[in-house]
Amino acid sequence: MFKKNRYKDFLKETGEISAFAGRFFKEGFKPRYEFAELIRQCFIIGYQSLPLVCVTAFIMGLVLTVQSRPTLEEFGAESYLPAMVAISVIREIGPVITALICAGKIGSSIGAELGSMRVTEQIDAMEVSGTNPFKYLVVTRILACTLMLPLLVIVGDTISLYASYIGVNLKGVVSWHLYYTQVFDTIDFSDLIPAFIKSYFFGFVIGLIGCYKGYNSKKGTEGVGLAANSAVVVSSLLIFILDLIAVQIADLMGLT
Amino acid sequence: MEKNPKHQSTEGIINDDKVIIVNKLYKSFGDNDVLKGFNLDLKKGENLVVLGKSGSGKSVLIKCMVGLLYPDDGEVAVLGKNIPKLDQDELDHLRVRIGFLFQSSALYDSMTVRENLEFPLRRHWISKSKEEVNELVMEALKNVGLEDAVDKMPSELSGGMRKRIGLARTLILKPEIMLYDEPTTGLDPITSREISKLIVEIQHTYQTSSIIITHDMACAKIVANRMIILVDGICYAIGTYNDLEQSKDPKIRPFFE
Ligand SMILES: Nc1ncnc2c1ncn2[C@@H]1O[C@H](COP(=O)(O)OP(=O)(O)O)[C@@H](O)[C@H]1O
Ligand SMILES: [Mg+2]
Repeated sequence: MFKKNRYKDFLKETGEISAFAGRFFKEGFKPRYEFAELIRQCFIIGYQSLPLVCVTAFIMGLVLTVQSRPTLEEFGAESYLPAMVAISVIREIGPVITALICAGKIGSSIGAELGSMRVTEQIDAMEVSGTNPFKYLVVTRILACTLMLPLLVIVGDTISLYASYIGVNLKGVVSWHLYYTQVFDTIDFSDLIPAFIKSYFFGFVIGLIGCYKGYNSKKGTEGVGLAANSAVVVSSLLIFILDLIAVQIADLMGLT
Repeated sequence: MEKNPKHQSTEGIINDDKVIIVNKLYKSFGDNDVLKGFNLDLKKGENLVVLGKSGSGKSVLIKCMVGLLYPDDGEVAVLGKNIPKLDQDELDHLRVRIGFLFQSSALYDSMTVRENLEFPLRRHWISKSKEEVNELVMEALKNVGLEDAVDKMPSELSGGMRKRIGLARTLILKPEIMLYDEPTTGLDPITSREISKLIVEIQHTYQTSSIIITHDMACAKIVANRMIILVDGICYAIGTYNDLEQSKDPKIRPFFE
């Protein structure tokens, strides 16, 4: 009985999230557009996560380089180090790690903020003040996440590559010029574009799930905690699932 | 005007025009039947108190009056318009004329008191110059006696102050109808009495017609011109405070004990 209910709840929630996404597209394209609020959200979301993204990107780049070296050394292929790290950072690690960090940082804060606005009737108050709360709160946040995540990924990738340069130079000496010639010789648009497109979807999912959980938060203070928590869990999971799908599509299109 | 608003006469304020008519209102959530054919009418200028235990559907009732919830069946006519039949634009226009004080005050946490008060002005396309907006904000705050709080954040305010600011934010649009959702719940008796007196003052200065939802008898005694008792999803009894206080009905007695 218990199991059956869980299964039903899962299907129900999937349906509800799809309907929520549908409402986003329906209401998002109709006026009145909340430009001022959108810009404010873009600033908040980008600014909030920038330090965290930078630090993790730096560490990932460095660690990846340091840890790959022994394996490559065994094959006598140390000179491939910059190229290998660049490919993994650009194609996979950059977007996914940035998205996960943002799911934790942005997803939870959106979930908690909208959740507490729901619980303390601020969303209802907005509605009676002649403001469509879905447009004002949800559409702006989802759009801001979708627009900002790719930018954060680009910043993260850049920092990872710098960190990797440092990592390469911890043992042995490689000039900056040689390093980046090697990196840019390996990377081409078929690496960048799928990763970039994928980041938009990651951003969309983080905004969508955070808003869905917060906007539909249950009454009471534990509802807010639950909204924040499940926003992070569900969006992180969805990021991996999307990544899996993205890899398959890129593969089918021959973008390898 | 007399000092104590309680003793002001309501003569000439209340007349027999009906500003809200609720007719056979039904609302249920799943298999939880909350309202089962509720009737009510609000006369122009009067303070109508709706009494009911918590969870009896009082908030549901007034949320139906501003289109925050949609009834399953029945009619909710506010200022001559049937709320469930209105489209979004008509509803927004009507909402300017209705003030709603939420149980939890519902101040926007991320905005200062000033921004909170400006919000309904900006959002209802009421275009005014900066000075006019500032004047309206200060006037609304003065009416609730909290001019000092203008640059504070809601988190710095006490429960009673939040209620007052919530009230100021609602009054800034000079509504014809005020709906108060448990205005005194969670406040100490002294603050409760102040808020109750403020409600009467508002009735007199703005000539508003109000529905006050409560289970606080002290507040009901101060503000009510007429009272309705909501039991089991229907309008169980109507009368003045004194009428109902005399009642021996086992479902009415508990409110007065
Ligand atoms: N949006 C909602 N969804 C489901 N049930 C609700 C909703 N709003 C209120 N209820 C239910 O309706 C009943 C009455 O609630 P409410 O009107 O808030 O009571 P109160 O009289 O204390 O204000 C409660 O049992 C509550 O659980
Ligand atoms: Mg209530």
